[in-house]
Amino acid sequence: MSNLTPAKIDNAVLDTLSPPPPRYWAVAAVLLAGTLLGLGCWIYQIYIGIGVGGQNNPVAWGTYLINFVFWVGIAHSGTLISAILYLFRAGWRNPIARAAETMTVFAVCTAGLFPLIHLGRVWLVYYMLPYPNQRNLWPNFTSPLMFDIVAISTYLTVSALFWYTGMIPDLATIRDRAVGVRKKIYTLLSFGWTGKFEQWRHYIRGYLFFAALATPLVISVHSVVSWDFGLGIVPGWHSTVFAPYFVAGAIHSGLAMVLTLMIPLRRIFHYEEIITIEVLENVAKTIILTGFIVGYAYAFEIFIAWYSFNPVEQESFRWRIFGDYSLEFWIMTLCNCAVPLFFFFKKCRTSLKWLMTISILVNVGMWYERFVIIVGGPAHGFLPHAWGLYGPTFIELGIMLGTFCMFFLLFILFVKHMPSVSMTEMKEALNTGDSDAH
Amino acid sequence: MDRRTFLKIAGIGSLSVAVGCTGNDEENLYSLVHAPDNMVTGKPSWYASTCRECPAGCGIIAKNREGRVIKVEGNPLHPVNRGKLCMRGQAALQGVYNPDRIKTPLVKVDGQWRPIAWKEAEALARERLTGAASDGAGNVFFISEVAGETTLAAMQRFQEAMAAAPPVLFEPFGYEALKAANAVTFGLAGLCRYRIDQADVLVGFGADFLETWLSPVEYSRKFKEMHGYRDGRKGLFFHVGPYESVTAANADHWLPVSPGAEAVIAMGCLHEALAKGRGDRLPSNVREAVHAAAAPYTEAAVCSASGVDAGAYRTMVKRLLAAERPLVLGQGVGGGAGEGLAANIAANLLNLVLDPDLARLDFIRRHRVEIAHARREVYGAFREAAGRDNAVLLLNNVNPVYSLPASAGIRETLERSSVFTISFSNFMDDTAVLADLILPTRLPLERWGEYAGHHGIVSTLQPAMGRLTDFPDLCDLLVRLGNGGRRSSGQARKQTYERLRRSEAVTGDRDWINVVQQGGVFTPPEEETFTWTFSFDCLKPFSGGLFRPVDADEALCFAAAPSLRFFDGRGGNRSWLAEFPDPITKVAWQAPVWIHPDTMTSRGLKTGDLVEIASDSGRLIAPVYPFAGLHPKMLVMTTGQGHAGFGRYAKGRGANPFQLLPAAVDPVAGGPGFLAAGVKLAPSGKRMVLAHTDGSKFQHGRKIAMSVAMKDLHGGPGHDHHGAGFGMHEFPMNLPLPEGYDPHQDVYPPHEHRDDYRWGMVVDLDRCIGCGACSVACYAENNIGVVGEQRVIEGREMSWIHIERYHDPDHMEKMIFLPMMCQHCDNAPCESVCPVYAPHHGKEGLNNQIYNRCIGTRYCVQNCPYKVRRFNWFEWDRPHPLPLQLNPDVTVRMRGVMEKCSFCVQRIKEAHGWAKNENRRIRDGEMVPACVQTCPTDALAFGNLADKESRVRRMVEDPRAYQVMGYLNTKPAVIYLRKVVQEI
Repeated sequence: MSNLTPAKIDNAVLDTLSPPPPRYWAVAAVLLAGTLLGLGCWIYQIYIGIGVGGQNNPVAWGTYLINFVFWVGIAHSGTLISAILYLFRAGWRNPIARAAETMTVFAVCTAGLFPLIHLGRVWLVYYMLPYPNQRNLWPNFTSPLMFDIVAISTYLTVSALFWYTGMIPDLATIRDRAVGVRKKIYTLLSFGWTGKFEQWRHYIRGYLFFAALATPLVISVHSVVSWDFGLGIVPGWHSTVFAPYFVAGAIHSGLAMVLTLMIPLRRIFHYEEIITIEVLENVAKTIILTGFIVGYAYAFEIFIAWYSFNPVEQESFRWRIFGDYSLEFWIMTLCNCAVPLFFFFKKCRTSLKWLMTISILVNVGMWYERFVIIVGGPAHGFLPHAWGLYGPTFIELGIMLGTFCMFFLLFILFVKHMPSVSMTEMKEALNTGDSDAH
Repeated sequence: MDRRTFLKIAGIGSLSVAVGCTGNDEENLYSLVHAPDNMVTGKPSWYASTCRECPAGCGIIAKNREGRVIKVEGNPLHPVNRGKLCMRGQAALQGVYNPDRIKTPLVKVDGQWRPIAWKEAEALARERLTGAASDGAGNVFFISEVAGETTLAAMQRFQEAMAAAPPVLFEPFGYEALKAANAVTFGLAGLCRYRIDQADVLVGFGADFLETWLSPVEYSRKFKEMHGYRDGRKGLFFHVGPYESVTAANADHWLPVSPGAEAVIAMGCLHEALAKGRGDRLPSNVREAVHAAAAPYTEAAVCSASGVDAGAYRTMVKRLLAAERPLVLGQGVGGGAGEGLAANIAANLLNLVLDPDLARLDFIRRHRVEIAHARREVYGAFREAAGRDNAVLLLNNVNPVYSLPASAGIRETLERSSVFTISFSNFMDDTAVLADLILPTRLPLERWGEYAGHHGIVSTLQPAMGRLTDFPDLCDLLVRLGNGGRRSSGQARKQTYERLRRSEAVTGDRDWINVVQQGGVFTPPEEETFTWTFSFDCLKPFSGGLFRPVDADEALCFAAAPSLRFFDGRGGNRSWLAEFPDPITKVAWQAPVWIHPDTMTSRGLKTGDLVEIASDSGRLIAPVYPFAGLHPKMLVMTTGQGHAGFGRYAKGRGANPFQLLPAAVDPVAGGPGFLAAGVKLAPSGKRMVLAHTDGSKFQHGRKIAMSVAMKDLHGGPGHDHHGAGFGMHEFPMNLPLPEGYDPHQDVYPPHEHRDDYRWGMVVDLDRCIGCGACSVACYAENNIGVVGEQRVIEGREMSWIHIERYHDPDHMEKMIFLPMMCQHCDNAPCESVCPVYAPHHGKEGLNNQIYNRCIGTRYCVQNCPYKVRRFNWFEWDRPHPLPLQLNPDVTVRMRGVMEKCSFCVQRIKEAHGWAKNENRRIRDGEMVPACVQTCPTDALAFGNLADKESRVRRMVEDPRAYQVMGYLNTKPAVIYLRKVVQEI
């Protein structure tokens, strides 16, 4: 790995923690304002009713659940990159693993907000918690929404712990250089890490086990989320392909989001030597693969609808392709399946402009995939008399904007106050004796 | 700190926290210290009365809880409606509880309405009346709706006291043409009743007897007695008319004809009948004269003049002539003035030729609406009033400014300073707003009286509720206005009683109480015979060769179709009626113009485009709705909307089709036309979104609204309940009972039902006419929110029963109306997906929605294949005093909660109470949900499916039985019976 030295890595990463310029705080203030706007919209919705959004009969689920699935999907690649690629000893993951994990944790938090926003009576959300109560009622564990609660909270716990565990040696490095209050804070955060051999031995083992523990979650969480739909009987939802289809889609969108976040990060923090273009290229190559998988899933769904000889399924997919939401369908297909094919060209894979554009397009496409599924299924369900359409309202868009702002606000706060690249792993990789990278 | 100190502090701390908590103070919660003797809190009292929402006069029983009427149902003893009620009757409650009801007498000062005390208001009225009366005879004019005998007599006495002409009874739907036709053909200027139930072939020439015609609830019932499939047979019904009304949609065959050409078809039938030698029992001179008049109506001439399809016409003639008990109904109010008379005469002649005994016409128990004056006389009264120097015009529950064409000049008459107008209206409608003084009187649910929908019965009214206002009864008010201001009260009850005593309908006080309790005297009088007398005048319309219908030219023809929902407009301010979508267009709150798709394409219009329609009399702007069920030259608009006033639910909503109609009346009948020929259609360049509640009117190859051909029912391939596959159409019927479970298709074991109760419903699509009475009854019973036009457009209507209108996949020109409510599945998709068990499978098979549990994930509605669950998107607006109508037995749902049909679980619980008191099981049919109770055609049946002897269980054995989308294996407890289609 070129001419990096441990000191250089430390300097590059720790430089990012220097007091930020006013520009940074300006951006943070704008994002905070956006977040507060979203919060205001939500409070308004709680007081007036869910009707301020665009949901109706038959489409009772709208952007709230679209965004929920979208953010859960985004949350996937963090753990994929940090855990699965760690187990596979894919060394190119090291520079982006920390940022990807951070993205995961914040994305899960954002995603977790949406079911609350979605509820008609959010103040009674504790009815879903399984605890002995005077109502003598227990949640219904056959409901996929209960699966969700278990899966998402597990995922949040494990990914947050994994993220934090990985950060401990880096926090100690910061502590060693910090002074004053910062020193006290980082001392607390680094849990008395001294870098003794014993600590390293336990740490490496623990991290490996965490990685092994987190790996099945990558598969399970989005499988469970997909069962929100797959276990419904709605035409366009009721399909066994949904679990792998959603997992592939999640990774697809997550990788795209990693690129969307990494490219500006690399530029702003001068990480060019750490997050090399090869790293980005590897992400792009993986996006080609996941793009093919989701493309296969789209085609497979349509094939099964035709093959089932079921008029309801057939009509549902005919309408998906040519009906009222055909534009959304074609945005989804083009952005998710066709656009990533540009990554076959080395020029596109190594050009930051291309990488950024395509990654954003894939994100857009994945958002529309959730729209097509979540809105398109019930809008054109079993009963033709009940068919109807849905469109989001300004309140919904405001809430959506607010959550996007919240996510980016959390992310920029993180990168200025925590090590956004894992110095430990980067340094490990320098030592060719220990590295499996090459 | 020692243990004691800790406990002290903890105790004080928790006490102070507890003291600090105060709940919300209840506002206005009073205990009933002195309850009336007969009132038990929580138990309803029922008061028999008579519905006055239209002139049909159905008997009602009004449910009173704690002093307020909360529901009206049909009086089962009443001969007109036999316990059933239409949607307008159900919505009578929204008259008394209307938020825009006038609260005090009002006087107009300098063009502004001012509240005024009753004493002063009466003094003012008296002053004007005595002034007008002393200025000369006949200066006081009284225009009233058709009223009961007591009120009528009071009005007549008042007019006599004022030395003025008797009151003029004005009904916008006055049936002048039918009366005139009866006068010339039968010698009786009245409205006979039709024994539709006794016919085997029925031919209608436009009479919309399932919607508004004469007595729709009665005729709906009788129609299905004749036309409902039973024992392998059903009657035949042909409807001839230029557009497909609800009545036409229920016909076995609707024959589209050019506007106004019904008479041509009827004469053609007459021609064919006489040619076949029918009518041989008629006097020979009559027969010959009729034969001569009908001579030009050969098949070819008929077809070319009316545009009817020759094959369909031939079939109709053949079946009509082959009938044993044929019956022909004339024109409804939807026709032209002259054409209506001709069609009614021709229909009468046809009845006469086919059956000279006229066995299916009842000339004795005629409809009361026959006492309405002809439109000519109504115009005359207004004209005369306008001509006087000092006139007083009294208006009782009429809205002529709205329901008469603008060119009739009613508005100008009312605006004249020489005419002092006193309105007795409770609402600031189009006419009342032009009055000078409003003296609101009690509404029918608040007063005494009697009103018999047809001759030969007595049907009483009594107050069914505590008083919301201090309004007097009209009878009292008239006495006060006429006697110089002496107090008078209780006149209506007294006069009704005395009148019934005089007519020997009531023999004494005890009998009076009995009569009032049962709602009237319904013993059929002795049969009287009627001999018709023929007048050759009746052939006059046909003297000039072939009868020419209105539109000889290429221009469009506009028809004002009587509305099932609003009648002549008097239902326009009832939010339930506006919220219920029109059965044909499925558009709520608005009244679009029906236009033929070809006309629409040729004019470059799109659905929802606003067009301006102009006739010689007026113009209106309305959105277009494409509908293939009308003659390409026609434009049709239902009546009832387009009020300039009439409260928040009516004001400024839609357009008023009456404004386009000609003011001219037919010279013979004196009646108006409801057809405007030669109207101009121009796009206005604007659009509006139609508040339609339907997605698609086609079934897209699914097993939803099914029909079966008659020949397949007997002798055809048998319907096996245990079909051979798991496909959509061969999937077996699975009852929501243990026997409906099969290890091959079910993973989970069946539910166990407590005490062998498993509630279920059977919907006979062959009997459903799509009238929507069930849906409105459900609004009344279950406190369903009214969402308004904008929310309907957004897809948020709350109705627990939708009447889904589908085209029959085997006969695309036919419609099937499918009432869709919660199917109470045994294997309910909604139940398994809710995280908090809000949809809960009850011990008696009901799919209960527990509102308190619901947190609003809306997963249940997503997963419901029938899409019958309704979410409370908002807190629905119920302006005071509408909340007084709410049923205290049913929760009012808050925002954020899912709701749906409960099979009226509150009624089931009540029935359990009765049964437990008597230590027995609930009897079959002992309780029914509100929808089943009111269905005029008995299309719905409710009962215990687990009981092998129950009516619903026996109906399930019908080979027509199926479950909507049953192949999803939801095991619905609502079983549908296919509509039976006859080959003709």
